[in-house]
Amino acid sequence: MSTIWQSLELLITRGLPMTLLLTLGLLGTGLLLGFPLAFLQVYGYRPVRWLCRGYEQLFRGVPALVLILIFHSGLSRTFDILLPAFASALLALGLRSSAYQSQIFRGAIQSVGEGQMLAARSVGMSKTQAIRHIILPQAFRLSIPPWTNEFSSVLKDTSLASAIGVLELMKQTTLIFTRIQFIHGAQWILVILMLAALIYWALTYLGNVGLSFLESRMRIPGFETKGQVER
Amino acid sequence: MKKASLAILVLTLVAGLWTVAAVGETYKVASDTTWPPFEWSDAEGNLLGFDLDVMRCIGVLQGFEIDISSYDWEIIFDDVGSGRMDIGASGATIRPDREEKVDFSAPYWTSDQAILVRADSELNIITALAGGYTVGAQLETTGAGFITDLIAAGINVTLVEYTLYPLAVLDLINGNIDAVIQDEPASVASATAEEDISVAGVIKTDENFGFFVAEGDPKGLLALINDGVAQLKALGVYDNLIAAYMGTDLVKVEAAWRASIGLLDDGDVVGFASQLATLANE
Repeated sequence: MSTIWQSLELLITRGLPMTLLLTLGLLGTGLLLGFPLAFLQVYGYRPVRWLCRGYEQLFRGVPALVLILIFHSGLSRTFDILLPAFASALLALGLRSSAYQSQIFRGAIQSVGEGQMLAARSVGMSKTQAIRHIILPQAFRLSIPPWTNEFSSVLKDTSLASAIGVLELMKQTTLIFTRIQFIHGAQWILVILMLAALIYWALTYLGNVGLSFLESRMRIPGFETKGQVER
Repeated sequence: MKKASLAILVLTLVAGLWTVAAVGETYKVASDTTWPPFEWSDAEGNLLGFDLDVMRCIGVLQGFEIDISSYDWEIIFDDVGSGRMDIGASGATIRPDREEKVDFSAPYWTSDQAILVRADSELNIITALAGGYTVGAQLETTGAGFITDLIAAGINVTLVEYTLYPLAVLDLINGNIDAVIQDEPASVASATAEEDISVAGVIKTDENFGFFVAEGDPKGLLALINDGVAQLKALGVYDNLIAAYMGTDLVKVEAAWRASIGLLDDGDVVGFASQLATLANE
């Protein structure tokens, strides 16, 4: 029993902080890039739109682990760019998340009726003003539920960073079960993996509860998004 | 927007981490810390083991700091070779194909390969390797290379490779493979921990372990390391570290290490090694 508590403590003190930092960093990077990308994809000039679409297709089309290895080993081999392992993981997974998040926001923007943009323009707002005051507040609310999904998936993607030696939850799990199987035997590997699974599950659950709370706080009673303008 | 400022905060943090990684005369040591008694992580997350303590002692003698990172074995030669990490200390056999990527120190340890089988198995070292059975090994290790050579020589044996050595042992216990080939000290450590497996025999390969640095040794570390090992041998520290780590109980060594590491922090290399050896063998 004490072995379980000791391992749990080690997972939480020596693995969890890096997993949380990576998750926040990834979601932050993704948000920072994903939001403008979405707007450019909807409202940008045609070449800009193509460019954003290409970026999004590229980063959504390559497996996360391949991206991590490209940023870590590929760049150093080919261009002599030596990113620390943490930075490689943050960049690779962050850019990937920005591509996914851009699609979440694009969907949200496009589900705000086009009539709203026309109405805003007709009362004298500029396009930027209309986006800022009419489209954005509605799109933001609509994007929370799918964004919850992205959070859940990104949180667990951070475990891939263990492949390049970032000491996060999964790497710490490996170190613990290695030691334990040398001391208490191999049946402990399953126990330690279950502990890691429990922590990932709890984090996902807590994050989802928090985001649902945000969703309900932001909800505007009686508000509906309907009404498409026929062209 | 709060979220944007959070993201900026995170990005600043990353920039901060970058600068920390870029400056400082501390040498970065890479080690696959899943391989007792040479390197592993204890119950409190401290990294210890024969290789790591030899490096720590050399650092004290030669006046440099080291920062040890847990690494995956498959990328350790790449990352030391590219200069991302300064020193590799990971029970690495000196081998020509590895010398294309990295430069090795003078040999500091000689090892042989051992064959692990299930305790109830009737296989011996010959039948396990030549009787058409399946043998597990860690990826990119000399043990895996040994089996590959056997296959190339036309011997009837199948190789299964694992990213981590303990996973090969697990598969052996579960009955998915028939034997595991690995360096002798790690094999003995496994057989001591698990009553279900035993060492079938040892193959005298006389492999030499070396510490390694990027090719061409751009930071001039090999001279410091080689001279450091020689000093440790002259001081009797080396023998004490061997006595502490080889063939002793891992839990006991961990307790001894935690009780003694303060001496090394104070610069007392000789005192550290002798206390470690005494406590580990009590």
